[in-house]
Amino acid sequence: MIELTNASRWYGQVIGLNDVTCTVPAGITALLGPNGAGKSTLIKLVTGQLKPTTGQVKVLGQTPFANGRVYRRMGYCPETDGFYEDMTGREFVTMLAAMAGLRGEELAKRVAEALHIVGMEQSADRKLGGYSKGMRQRIKVAQAIVHSPDLLILDEPLNGLDPVGRHEMSELFRQFGRQGKCVLISSHILYEVEQMTSNILLLYRGRLLAQGDVYQIRALIDRHPHRVAIRTDNPRGLAMALLALPCVLSLRISENGTKQLELETRDPEAFYSQLPDLVLAGGFHVTGFESPDNNLESVFRYLTQG
Amino acid sequence: MALRHANGSKPQMSDLYLFRASLRDMLRPRRVAAAVLLATLPVALAIAWRSTTPGAAFNPGLVYNIMAGGIVFGFTLVILAVLFATGVVSQEVEQKTIVYLLTRPVSRARVLLARFAAAAVTVTAIVWVSCVLVALVAYGPADIAQSRLARDLLVLPIGVLAYGSVFLLAATIIPKPLIYGLLFAFGWESWVAMIPGSFQRMSIMAYLRVLAPHPQMATSERGPAEMLQALNPETIAVHTAWLVIAALIPVALGLALLAFSVREYAPKDDAE
Repeated sequence: MIELTNASRWYGQVIGLNDVTCTVPAGITALLGPNGAGKSTLIKLVTGQLKPTTGQVKVLGQTPFANGRVYRRMGYCPETDGFYEDMTGREFVTMLAAMAGLRGEELAKRVAEALHIVGMEQSADRKLGGYSKGMRQRIKVAQAIVHSPDLLILDEPLNGLDPVGRHEMSELFRQFGRQGKCVLISSHILYEVEQMTSNILLLYRGRLLAQGDVYQIRALIDRHPHRVAIRTDNPRGLAMALLALPCVLSLRISENGTKQLELETRDPEAFYSQLPDLVLAGGFHVTGFESPDNNLESVFRYLTQG
Repeated sequence: MALRHANGSKPQMSDLYLFRASLRDMLRPRRVAAAVLLATLPVALAIAWRSTTPGAAFNPGLVYNIMAGGIVFGFTLVILAVLFATGVVSQEVEQKTIVYLLTRPVSRARVLLARFAAAAVTVTAIVWVSCVLVALVAYGPADIAQSRLARDLLVLPIGVLAYGSVFLLAATIIPKPLIYGLLFAFGWESWVAMIPGSFQRMSIMAYLRVLAPHPQMATSERGPAEMLQALNPETIAVHTAWLVIAALIPVALGLALLAFSVREYAPKDDAE
C-alpha cells in the first residue's frame, strides 16, 4: 500500500531520509529508529506533507502530496500536539470528519462511534484546552479513524497514554490490522510495538537499516550469538550434556539459585532441533525456556549500537 | 471503505465547518481585545475632539474625514489586514494544526479560501463598526447621512480584500510574513505617495483614497508629509482605481492559492 523507491529528503544541507526503498504491506508495520533517524520525515513524505527531494513515494499507487484521492482513504494521527484549544473534542472530530467527506446523520453517527471507540464519549464536549495528554492522544486517534480509512498512519500514538490506554489503543490498532488495513506505527515504546506486530521498518541516521519480520532479522544478525535461557531441576547436568553440541558457544549457570543456565549459540536452528532429544535422553526436567535477545528491543539495540 | 466526496466548485459542508472553525480561531479573546482597542482608537479621539471643541467651532466633516480617512483607512484597516491575513497560514503552522487541514481530501485552495474568508469577514466587521461609531460621534445619529459613511462602508471591504489578498500571498511564499507585511504597510504605503512621479500608483492606499476620498483632510493643517504629498501632481482617475483594485484582488488571491497548493507547510520543529 505504501512504496518508497530511492526516496531521499534534504532539509538544506541536512539529510532527513537517505535513499530509502521499501514497501509497507497490509497489516501492522512498526516504524522504528532512535531520535533523528528519519521516522518523522518518512511519515511526512507518506502523508504528503513533504515531497521527496529525489526518488519516489507512492501511497495506494499515487503520489500523496496534496492528493485528495489518497487522503480520502488515509487516516493520520500526527505526533504534534497542536489543537484548536477552544474547540471541544466533538467539534474537532466533527470538523475533520466533515472535511473527510462525511455529512448529515452519517457524520454525527461516525463521530459518536469514533469517540466511543477511543473511550472519549464522556469527555467529548469539553474543550480541548482542558484535556490531559492522554485525552488529546485519544482525540487524535478518533479523528484519524472517524472516516474508516484503509490506511492508518500513526506517529507515536501511544505517547502520553497510561498503561490501560496503551493497551486499549494497541488492541484497536491490532483490530485494524486484522481487518486487512494497512497500519504504519511509529513508536519508541518497543515492548508495546512488539505486542502488535513483528513486521518492522528500522531507520537509523536517515537510512533504512532493516525491513521485515523482526525474528527473521534477528536470525540474520550473526555477530551477536543468540542467547537461550533454560530453567531445569539439574542445570549442571544439562550444561554438561549441552557442551557436547558443536553449535553451543558458551554456557553459564546462574549462581542465584534459580536453577537456570544461559547459553549462546550462533546456529539457533541446529540448537533447537537437537535440544529435545538431548533433554529426553538425559531425563532432564525443563520448567522454563526463553530467548532473552530474540525480541524487538535486542534487534533494535544490535542494529543501532553495533 | 472509501467515502463519496463531491468535488467541484460548489460550496460543500466541509467549507462551512472550516469557515466556522476559522472564524472562531480569528475571534480568540486576545485578538478580539487588540482589535477592539484598534477599532475604538479613532472613536475615542473623535469623542475627545468633540468634548474639547466649542459647539460652533466643531466641524463634524473634518473630524470624520481625519478619523475615518486617516485612522480607520490609513491605520486600522491596514494593520488588521496584515495581522489577520498573514495569520491565515502562519497561525496554522505555528499552532501545528495545519497537518490536520492538509491531510484531508479537501483541496488546499478551499482550505485557504475558507480561512481567508473568515479573516476578511472579521476585519471588515471591525473596521465597519469603527467607521460607524466615528460617524455617530462626529455627526450624531440625526445628521449621519451627511457623512461619507455609506461610501466608506462600501470601500472598506474592498480595501480589506485588496490588502488581505496581498498579505495572504506574502504569507504563502515568504517566512515571517508579518514583519514584511508591517514594513510594506507602514513603510512603503506611507511614504510612496510622497515620492514625485508615478510611484504612488504602486500603493494600494492611493487607489483606496481615490475610491473613498476624504477631501477635508487636505484643507486641514498641513504637516511636512501632507506638504510633500501636495507637491506630487500625479492623480489617479476613479475608473483606473476601480480597475486596478478589481484586478489586484483576483491576481494576488490566485497566486496565493497557487503557492499554497504546491508548497510544503510542515511545522518546522518536527522536521528532522
